[in-house]
Amino acid sequence: MSDLQRPPASGAAWADESDRDRAPARPREHTVVGGDWQELPNVVDDDLMIINMGPQHPSTHGVLRLVLTLDGERILDTRPVIGYLHTGIEKNLEYRPWVQGVTFVTRMDYLAPLHNELAYCLAVEKLLGITGDIPERASALRVLLTEFNRVASHFVWLATGGMELGSTTAMIFGFRERETILDLFEEVSGLRMNHAFIRPGGIAMDLPDGFVPRARTAISALRDRIGEIEDLLTENPIWIERLTGVGLLTAAQCLDWGVTGPVLRSAGVAHDLRKVTPYCGIEQYDFHVPTTDTADAYGRYLIRMEEMRQSLTICEQVLDSLPEGAVMVADAKIAWPAQLALGPDGIGNAQEHIDRIMGKSMEALIHHFKLVTEGFTVPEGQVYAAIESPRGELGYHVTSSGTNKPYRVKVRDPSFLHIGVLPTMSHGLQVADIIVAVASVDPVMGGVDR
Amino acid sequence: MSRDDNPNATLGEQGDVIEAGLDVQLSRELAALRDHLVAAYPELEVLGFRGELTLIAAPERVVELLRFCRDDETVRCELLADLSGVHWPGGTIEASAQETTGWPTYAEEREGRIEIDYLLRSVAHGHAFRVRTSVGDDAPRLATATAVYAAADLMEREVYDFFGVAFDGHPDLTRVLMPDDWDGHPHRKDYPLGGVEVDFKGATIPPPDERSY
Repeated sequence: MSDLQRPPASGAAWADESDRDRAPARPREHTVVGGDWQELPNVVDDDLMIINMGPQHPSTHGVLRLVLTLDGERILDTRPVIGYLHTGIEKNLEYRPWVQGVTFVTRMDYLAPLHNELAYCLAVEKLLGITGDIPERASALRVLLTEFNRVASHFVWLATGGMELGSTTAMIFGFRERETILDLFEEVSGLRMNHAFIRPGGIAMDLPDGFVPRARTAISALRDRIGEIEDLLTENPIWIERLTGVGLLTAAQCLDWGVTGPVLRSAGVAHDLRKVTPYCGIEQYDFHVPTTDTADAYGRYLIRMEEMRQSLTICEQVLDSLPEGAVMVADAKIAWPAQLALGPDGIGNAQEHIDRIMGKSMEALIHHFKLVTEGFTVPEGQVYAAIESPRGELGYHVTSSGTNKPYRVKVRDPSFLHIGVLPTMSHGLQVADIIVAVASVDPVMGGVDR
Repeated sequence: MSRDDNPNATLGEQGDVIEAGLDVQLSRELAALRDHLVAAYPELEVLGFRGELTLIAAPERVVELLRFCRDDETVRCELLADLSGVHWPGGTIEASAQETTGWPTYAEEREGRIEIDYLLRSVAHGHAFRVRTSVGDDAPRLATATAVYAAADLMEREVYDFFGVAFDGHPDLTRVLMPDDWDGHPHRKDYPLGGVEVDFKGATIPPPDERSY
């Protein structure tokens, strides 16, 4: 900040017109180190007001900061400021063996942990050239888990979005139904979130006994609950009033800004990577991609509700046609050597496996030790693997230099690009409506900041 | 099970692989697309790996090529799906120096460079490919693609933040994920990692790339 722009020491002096003339027309740079609010009164035009929304505002979906330029209640400009949740996950991946990467990536978009794991593993498998060798059962279970995860993520969107509009019923309903799915995840992987369950080569372990009937019960219960929520909201006059015509984005704008997922589909483009570049055999299940032509927040609500139903249909089909067999690739140079099992103190190495490596086979012990500590090497090259996450195209751009650690992992997170479109989306809206607009794109800051 | 009838195969492997080998391995659609693009831009270098098409272009022609890819009817990439960077530092690089694999160690002299990858996706045609360019890693500069794809705005800021590539003509080239007053560009391989001080007789944990464990 130059001395010219610094407000004079005495409080009333910034009414001085000569100071005002020297100030820039619009403040373009704001630092996060604090104190920059002092210069703002000095540079605003007549009635324009600059308001800082966030990063701790309850309805900005985590730590998102929006610097709004307001003319009264009307938003003229929005500047999103992000990075508050930046943890350097991409950099961390470069110093860990390939398998350990799963534990990191699952923490990025924390509402869709399984999607992150799957996209990362698909990229690693593509680099290894073993995409075609993944057992069918592993692929089917990957589809099952990610589609359940999509439903859970949409429930959180409904809950947080509803709460931001003051509909606490939607919040309670959303979080309550999500628990049903998290219980299933806990049963399968031992964890409700951040599972690290999908691994390069397959999945960590097979389903527990009796899971399939319990999942079926959960699906039919969830269908009823989705119906209940639709009864509550779809025809609700307040809900319609708040959502209709808010956060408009045309198809051309979406494509220009790289916006995908439900937001693009609400503008009438039926673009879904599950249909365009199917992964894990998802093309063998029957489902459709809902679209609307309203291009607004209400359309996105309708699409997400229908997507939940479609995902449950996919889950049901997976359960109906679940193939038997292994859940990890046969190649012992890649497959995780341990056979996991549920012990008295949680999931761990199976007793059988421990007996074998500790008591019977020295070679098995060496193999286990080397693969667990050093990991496998991955051929040189760069690949891009993308899947349809609940928010849009989630892509992993992975580079290997031929060692046992990634050389560079770049995550293309849909939320990150959706943040970029907020200025376009919120121009001319009222302040109360920007809450709806932000909620309708459903950004998850863990994914944005990585 | 052979790879051909496996439904899990990627698109590239599923389509007929008409050219197999280490360098070029593309589906029929991508091969046709490659021929179309090479006809328009003969100087492009083509790379195929794991069924993905990569076009390597000179840095000064990238924006023009991107505009062509967006506007040409056959290519028609409406989406800039991803824009990322990879830093390959210069100097003598020892490759494959793993004690246990028994692979030979060889040294290679190379210039430091930063690779920028633009991943383009066509919603209309359903294909995707990569345009790659590289710039020297000493004060790198590249023309901005924001006039072609608005999505480049945030992603170029990220590349600037992490690699220090200055995009000429970018409307607002500021840091995006790191704090505004941060020094250095953390995803460059020459960026120091730093160790961790431990509260025990002045011990430190060395940075990850210097550890022996």
